[in-house]
Amino acid sequence: MLTTAPRLRIRRPSPTTAEFTVTTLPPRTLPLRLLWLLLLVLRISLSLVALLILYARWVQERSSFGGATAQLPSSSSSPPPPPLLSLDRLVFALDAFQSTPAGTLLARIAASVSLPVLLPVAAAVFYALSLRVHKEESLLVLRGLGVQTSESPATYLAGAATRFIPTEKIQDILVNEAFLGFEVRYYLVVVVEGEENVVVVFPGLLPRRKIVETVWRGVRECLYEGRGEDRVDKSGG
Amino acid sequence: MARKTYNIAMVSDFFFPQPGGVESHIYQLSSKLIDRGHKVIVITHAHDDRKGVRYLNNGLKVYHVPFLVIYRQATFPTVFSFFPILRNICIRERIEIVHGHGSLSSLCHEGILHARTMGLRTVFTDHSLFGFADAASILTNKLLKFILSDVDHSICVSHTCKENTVLRASLDPLMVSVIPNAVVGENFRPRDYPAPSEQGGGFRAEPSPRLLGPHDMITIVVISRLFYNKGTDLLTAAIPRILENHPNTRFIIAGSGPKAIDLEQMIETNVLQDRVEMLGSIRHEDVRDVMTRGHIYLHPSLTEAFGTVIVEAASCGLYVVCTQVGGIPEVLPSHMTTFAKPEEDDIVAATGKAITAMRAGKIRTEKFHDEVKKMYSWSNVAMRTERVYDGICGTISEEEFYGFDTSGYNNGSRIRDFALIDRLKRYYGCGIWAGKLFCLCVVVDYLFFLFLEWWFPRENIDICPDWPRKPPAKDKAQDSMKLAMSRSTSSVRVPKLDR
Repeated sequence: MLTTAPRLRIRRPSPTTAEFTVTTLPPRTLPLRLLWLLLLVLRISLSLVALLILYARWVQERSSFGGATAQLPSSSSSPPPPPLLSLDRLVFALDAFQSTPAGTLLARIAASVSLPVLLPVAAAVFYALSLRVHKEESLLVLRGLGVQTSESPATYLAGAATRFIPTEKIQDILVNEAFLGFEVRYYLVVVVEGEENVVVVFPGLLPRRKIVETVWRGVRECLYEGRGEDRVDKSGG
Repeated sequence: MARKTYNIAMVSDFFFPQPGGVESHIYQLSSKLIDRGHKVIVITHAHDDRKGVRYLNNGLKVYHVPFLVIYRQATFPTVFSFFPILRNICIRERIEIVHGHGSLSSLCHEGILHARTMGLRTVFTDHSLFGFADAASILTNKLLKFILSDVDHSICVSHTCKENTVLRASLDPLMVSVIPNAVVGENFRPRDYPAPSEQGGGFRAEPSPRLLGPHDMITIVVISRLFYNKGTDLLTAAIPRILENHPNTRFIIAGSGPKAIDLEQMIETNVLQDRVEMLGSIRHEDVRDVMTRGHIYLHPSLTEAFGTVIVEAASCGLYVVCTQVGGIPEVLPSHMTTFAKPEEDDIVAATGKAITAMRAGKIRTEKFHDEVKKMYSWSNVAMRTERVYDGICGTISEEEFYGFDTSGYNNGSRIRDFALIDRLKRYYGCGIWAGKLFCLCVVVDYLFFLFLEWWFPRENIDICPDWPRKPPAKDKAQDSMKLAMSRSTSSVRVPKLDR
């Protein structure tokens, strides 16, 4: 529901530039935006819960060592809260949360799981929560300069992986077909001079033939405008 | 009336780049079918550096499916693993007919089985003869029976081959057609043959006979792989006697194999080094150059389904001496050949007769090329194969295709329908245990098909754009000719009519 089959978005900021983006992001409608918001809230709250469990465990570990107890303010006369917007205030708030019913529940969960299990599980949860829902891969064509491929990373934490190929290095851009698993798929490749392997455009999504052909036509038009007669046969790979 | 054209997939383990008869048969047939306006693709397994999808001349598309090769370029028989990729290819290429080649190719058998499950028409071409007695033959025959019990139509390269296949697979003989191989005449011209450009206008001068004096050297050529079934033992026994009886003769032997050592020993013991030349294995392109060095071609094979090589020899203007086995007697007219029984004395006698006839100038070998060119052409093979396609797809009616006898074995129609229960009935008759096993296979295959339809939905598969098609051949006149030809199935040698 949150993703669609790969679809193409073309942006032409100037006559000599075109960006072809293949994305699994569906068109934004109101229900979808609400769903996104809900998902965001869910992600944040789940990460928060995971963090709090880790913190509770840390407090327990610390208290199990004798030396650490001295740090804890055991006196019943609660000191005045530290000033707002300081690190101490955060620690104070966390400690205060520990005494609430929800806090004790999390503490009990944290205590019941052994550390070698807890840490990998927490890491996996964080990774899962940072995963992107949709994939996006794009090809930016700048006449006279070259093409740049970019693909969105798997998580929100990493940046996009891009690769720029200058025009004079591009030998050809063509559509080919090849075996992939139990299928034969069409894909767009850039043949780069001096490289043994070709560069596959949209390597992760491998959109359908219609999209690939549209992009191929668009790229050739944008890159070699006016010299479009020397079109090679697209399947001549 | 515009002819109906088909999308055809040729499935076989045997295809270029490896050399061989089946390989060139598939290539030539496909190429000529494309010329007639059909769309043809070839599905084979990957060779060392031939992987993925490639195009050959004439827009012939070849899928080199990555598979494990086990023995002599045949792939491992994994009954179902080929199905997903075959289904994908058939859908994206909009295939209507799957045509398998070679009874030892597991890819072909699997392709036919799966194609039937998918509801496509299938044709099988058999290129080889088999025995009935040894264990390997029994196994292959059982497998062949399994595959052919549901195939729409079979094609054999000679009548002997047809008889063999019908017996091995218990087929209805009318469901087997005979379409011989052919040769590319241009590649097998005799020595001193005028270039084709001169043939343009007017009459060509009648070639004058090559006369041999009594002391001129006569060269006998043998080109074959040196295996037991190719009759190398007969050759080893016959050569010393032939050379003894006929001075001024010599042998050229090309080819390699396990029996080469016997030949070499024979040459050593009889001190025939200056009269027998062993060339070792040669490439197919060089066959013509070796053949044109000789006058007589000797073919001592013990079994042969068709024997393309003797057609090639005759096309090169050689007089042919061959054993009367398998499909060989059907191949050439009697004035081009001398037959011998597959035994030493008879081969020596027949070769002697041939040498005498050559010396007497009785044989006009210079005319052989044009005659062979008229008899064997790939466009004729393609035309006849096309008629088989017409017949199984219902383009021409059943009565027209099968002739007078419209009832099948069980008084049923010969058009194979795709209903699972009917397919199971056909398989069940294969044997007490084998029948049940085959049925099981087919049922599993069908379930697998349903699974694939769900897992890889049809609409998610891209359709390939076609290579620009040639206009379909419009030949109403030839249609009726073809009909007449195939009615009289005994005539293998059909004059080439087109062009």
